[in-house]
Amino acid sequence: HFYLYEKVNIIHLHFIAQLQEAFAAGLLKPGMNVLVDKPKKLVNNVEGLKQCLADFRKDLPWVERLDLTNLPAANIISQAEEKASAPAAGELDADDDFQREMFFYRQAQATILEAMPLLNRHSIATKRPEDYFAEMAKSDQHMQKIRKKLISKQMIMERSEKAKKLREQRKFGKKVQIEVIQKRQQEKKAMMSAVKKYQKGMTDKLEFLEGDQKMNKESSQGSKKAVNKKGPSAKRKYKDQKFGFGGKKSGKKWNTKESYNDVSGFRAKIAHGKGGKKGKGGKQNKRPGKSVRKKMKNRS
Amino acid sequence: MARDVLWRRPAYLNTVAGKDISLPPSRILHGKWTNKERVLIFSSRGINFRTRHLMQDLRTMMPHAKADTKMDRKDKLFVINEVCEIKNCNKCLYFEAKKKQDLYMWISNSPHGPSAKFLVQNIHTLAELKLTGNCLKGSRPLLSFDPKFDKEPHYALLKELFIQTFSTPRYHPKSQPFVDHVFTFTIADNRIWFRNYQIIEEDGSLVEIGPRFVLNLMKIFQGSFGGPTLYENPDFRSPNMHRREMRLAAAAKVREKQMVKEMQKGKKTSAKEDLESDVTADVFLTPAEEKPADIQTEAPEPKVVKKKQKAYVKRRALICKYKENCI
Repeated sequence: HFYLYEKVNIIHLHFIAQLQEAFAAGLLKPGMNVLVDKPKKLVNNVEGLKQCLADFRKDLPWVERLDLTNLPAANIISQAEEKASAPAAGELDADDDFQREMFFYRQAQATILEAMPLLNRHSIATKRPEDYFAEMAKSDQHMQKIRKKLISKQMIMERSEKAKKLREQRKFGKKVQIEVIQKRQQEKKAMMSAVKKYQKGMTDKLEFLEGDQKMNKESSQGSKKAVNKKGPSAKRKYKDQKFGFGGKKSGKKWNTKESYNDVSGFRAKIAHGKGGKKGKGGKQNKRPGKSVRKKMKNRS
Repeated sequence: MARDVLWRRPAYLNTVAGKDISLPPSRILHGKWTNKERVLIFSSRGINFRTRHLMQDLRTMMPHAKADTKMDRKDKLFVINEVCEIKNCNKCLYFEAKKKQDLYMWISNSPHGPSAKFLVQNIHTLAELKLTGNCLKGSRPLLSFDPKFDKEPHYALLKELFIQTFSTPRYHPKSQPFVDHVFTFTIADNRIWFRNYQIIEEDGSLVEIGPRFVLNLMKIFQGSFGGPTLYENPDFRSPNMHRREMRLAAAAKVREKQMVKEMQKGKKTSAKEDLESDVTADVFLTPAEEKPADIQTEAPEPKVVKKKQKAYVKRRALICKYKENCI
């Protein structure tokens, strides 16, 4: 510990001596002089590099080296989509994985395209004949594993696709099911009411029995027309007339003060039930009274 | 597939009665192996499994490579030159692992030539299942370089070094005469990216075989594993410094948060001003004008009591009377 202190002292003294010399020589400027590290100079011995290269290079024929220098081949896909081909050689973004790998891929492609004719000229084979059996860099076992992995990936994708489709179908199927049930209920209701009408003698036609067949034939065309004819109900029409169109208006237009006080639609006779049945239009096939029915019965 | 069956004997030596049975006779020209390149690939102690596999893969890819035992890191690097001489190799790929984390690769031309040191990153080996290509063991590669290699002198030197090291000599006894894969060296982000693709179709469809790695140049030396430095990479940051910077950044973040907290605490507990006596309270006081004293000479009119009050008053009066009566 003591020794280190001494050492530091000595260095300090040396430093002071230097400063004194510099001051004597007039190198020190007035003001605070701060000790700064010299910026680290990195070696770039261009001449040395070139010399070394010249010494070391072997002038082998191309056939021995098989090397090529080229830019990547044109990117067909990006050209088709008319995207600006940003990766000119200087701008390759090493963080964009896909772009980077595609760049390498296309560089290799360009090399091959250039090299094939050269290889053919030097009669170097690139295609293995069918019956050429030799050891491969990766063993057969390994290739089997790779194949299995690829297949399993495909299966997983297919399964997920199927599951998605099933889910969609189920939703759709549910909708269809509901519609069918509703339709059946409506038909049943119509049937029952027709039967009741017949029972009560309001209609003496038995068309409702054949109705099913007719309905099946006309259902595709007729039912749509019928639905359109009826349109909105009478109640709906009255309310539209009174309060205007545009659907539900958050319940603000049912009965306002003005509409409540508006008695223009009041018909005293109808209100007291004394008016004729003209409003209803007169029911056809009205059920006759007891005496008339008795007469009819006795007659028949 | 039928053609992937193992068969160890190099096929072009297969002759029966002087006639080559395994290859179409027109294709193969037996030649003399003149380009005597041999590469020594070995490592130091303390490497991990990935590095070991990478070395093995490189030896598989390069039939002109030789293996050697692990070197103790205590020995100086120029010992490697002697090892190369013993093994009769003129190129060397030496992998050095430090702290069981960082991998450095030396590539050198053994007796006199230049050498370079790289930091190796992003290693993927042949055994990865995502690299699905395959090639003949010992087939000669095509080498593909980025045009950037020709622009700088240090890259030009590296290019020559790579060509001599990685290209398999023609007619090497362990090599296959077909060219079915291509090594690519590309410069991006001041690093050298290495990829190995299998040529499937001659129109350019490729599949990656592996291995793949990224080389970050540190220094180029004039001699083999020593000698004067010819080039230092200004963009290189040692992994230690990188880790240190990360740690410092994290620490700085924590410190900043603490400082902010302390400041907020300080604000809360700092002595508040005494607001009981406001010094400036009298500033805007203006004494009101004196009003003349109003002396009422007439009695005020009786108030108009509202009904309720009257009732209340009546009730109270009744109650009082009742009480009086009681008492």
